[in-house]
Amino acid sequence: MSFFAWVELIASGLITGGVYALVALGLNLQYGLMRILNIAHGEFLMVGAFLTWWMQSQFGFSPLLMLPVSFGLLMALGLAVHFLCFRRLTVTSPNLDIFEARGLMVAFGLMFLVQNFVSWQWGGDLRGYDYLTDPVRLGGAQFAGNKLLVFGLALAFSLGLIVLLRMTLLGKGVRALMQSPVGAQLVGIDTRRLHPLMFGIGLGLSGVAGCLLSMSYTISPSMGEPYTVTALIVITLGGFGSMGGALAGGLLLGVVEAVGMHYTNPSMKALLSYTVFIAVLLLRPEGLFTRRTRKA
Amino acid sequence: MNDRQLLVRDLLVWFGLTGWALAIPGFGSDFVVSMALTCLMYVALSSSWGLFCGSTRYLSLATSAFFGVGAYTSALMLESAGWVESIALGSLVATAVAVLMGAAVLHLRGTYFAVLTFGMTELIRHAITYFEKSVTGTVGRVLAVVPERDTIYLTVLALASATVLLSIAIRRTRFGLALVGIGADEQRAQTLGVNTRLVKIAGFALTAAVAGAVGAAMSVRWTYIDPQTVFNPFIGFQTVLIALIGGATTLWGPLIAAVVFSLLAETLRLAAPQVYMMTLGLLLILSVLYLPGGLASLRWDTWKGWRDDTRAWWRERRHEWSGRKAREKRLARERRLG
Repeated sequence: MSFFAWVELIASGLITGGVYALVALGLNLQYGLMRILNIAHGEFLMVGAFLTWWMQSQFGFSPLLMLPVSFGLLMALGLAVHFLCFRRLTVTSPNLDIFEARGLMVAFGLMFLVQNFVSWQWGGDLRGYDYLTDPVRLGGAQFAGNKLLVFGLALAFSLGLIVLLRMTLLGKGVRALMQSPVGAQLVGIDTRRLHPLMFGIGLGLSGVAGCLLSMSYTISPSMGEPYTVTALIVITLGGFGSMGGALAGGLLLGVVEAVGMHYTNPSMKALLSYTVFIAVLLLRPEGLFTRRTRKA
Repeated sequence: MNDRQLLVRDLLVWFGLTGWALAIPGFGSDFVVSMALTCLMYVALSSSWGLFCGSTRYLSLATSAFFGVGAYTSALMLESAGWVESIALGSLVATAVAVLMGAAVLHLRGTYFAVLTFGMTELIRHAITYFEKSVTGTVGRVLAVVPERDTIYLTVLALASATVLLSIAIRRTRFGLALVGIGADEQRAQTLGVNTRLVKIAGFALTAAVAGAVGAAMSVRWTYIDPQTVFNPFIGFQTVLIALIGGATTLWGPLIAAVVFSLLAETLRLAAPQVYMMTLGLLLILSVLYLPGGLASLRWDTWKGWRDDTRAWWRERRHEWSGRKAREKRLARERRLG
């Protein structure tokens, strides 16, 4: 294999990896902060993708314009979902374990609800549109323009979130809540405002990811579930609650999949990622990149 | 009611229901029998799920794995072995898978356990698909020898009623108490001398044995099976859903919910499959939020509680919207300041 073929292979892995990272960051925010394992996360990605496709094909909106719109809409949806379901769940659950189990069940319910609503509304066909399909030459390697754009934007949003969490006071509050919920509340961090906000931002990010995906891939109502599973794999790779880990894990998984598929065959893809997932969960449940800290 | 009276009541109900279900093929049409068959399948699956997962609070999503393994085994064996042998074998293979899986993952609790069992189910499904694609070259298999309708029905009925009888019996044994003890507080159970590891694996294997047997018996209903149908994660989800909505820790809850769901599924699924799934999702959310104990915990007081809650909420809203709340707040502030 020539040098440029390698570059193209790795780059295509990085491009899918960028989207994985973006999806995983949103899920990680929800799980790390609130212990809501939102199994319906990929469904909201699908909603974002369908919204973009629908606006593009009906009214001719540019997909780029739809980025902030789908972020805003999905964030509003997230606030509503949090207000209707998880707020009550937090109040009524006696302890965190029970909250986690019930939250998982509610998320399953959301998954059924959203997925079937979309396929009821728009039908189960594969959809897609053309956007920036001309190839771009970089050095000796060739890429589709839309994929480069997807990668760039996914990376920009991921880094934006990480910067937000590292640099601002809001981010400091979030990180404090992740470290110790009780301690954070003692120093005056308002969980009742921060939790819905972060849930909304998580869903908004998945809406952005869906919007980006619709630019270069075909979409269908069942596209969400594989992304949920991938996001789960990525956050186990990176460690629950670790944002930098999720970014690195997403890119790594993309490259591993691309290289693995090149050497075996495409039907191995699911098998490969599930094997990685189970192996990591069983052997290093605290994540690949975290240093071993004290065990409770 | 004391324990003895409860036992007598449960046994009488069990006896009556079994007898009634036994009579269905005698007078029902094909449609009714097939509906009853689905119903019985979910009774067996969700009762056996509740037996282990309900009492220990380990949320397993692996039911479809055991179901599929059982179905595949019986599909492979049916041509060379008899009907009863292939079902027994299917159940045995599923049990073996459960013991292996349990030994690997049962030390993890909560979400980790749920996610891992789901991941392993998917892994098994993809592994079998891959194996069929690349080694045997064909995906799925056709079942040529199929027993009669009544044989399948009676077999599934026997499995369902045996499962219910098993859960009546087990909750009165040391083993059942150990399971409940693990659910309440695992460390305390350990301190009191329960070998939790062994008990958990045994319970998990019991669930799998029933699910495997049901899968083996139901596989012939499709006449053509592939990993997509028999390892369908939806079978596992719906089992969990039925058990949770009915009340996972109770005896009759899963049974009531299974009947309700089969009726709902048959009436809604043909007309509008998506609406059925949406109803399912909505019901799940509502039942987790407002009825965490399940349908079986529904009492007269629950209704009264809801009514009182709604009234209190409405009074609060009226208080707020009429502007009295804001006025009272203002008055209180003025009084404090002045």
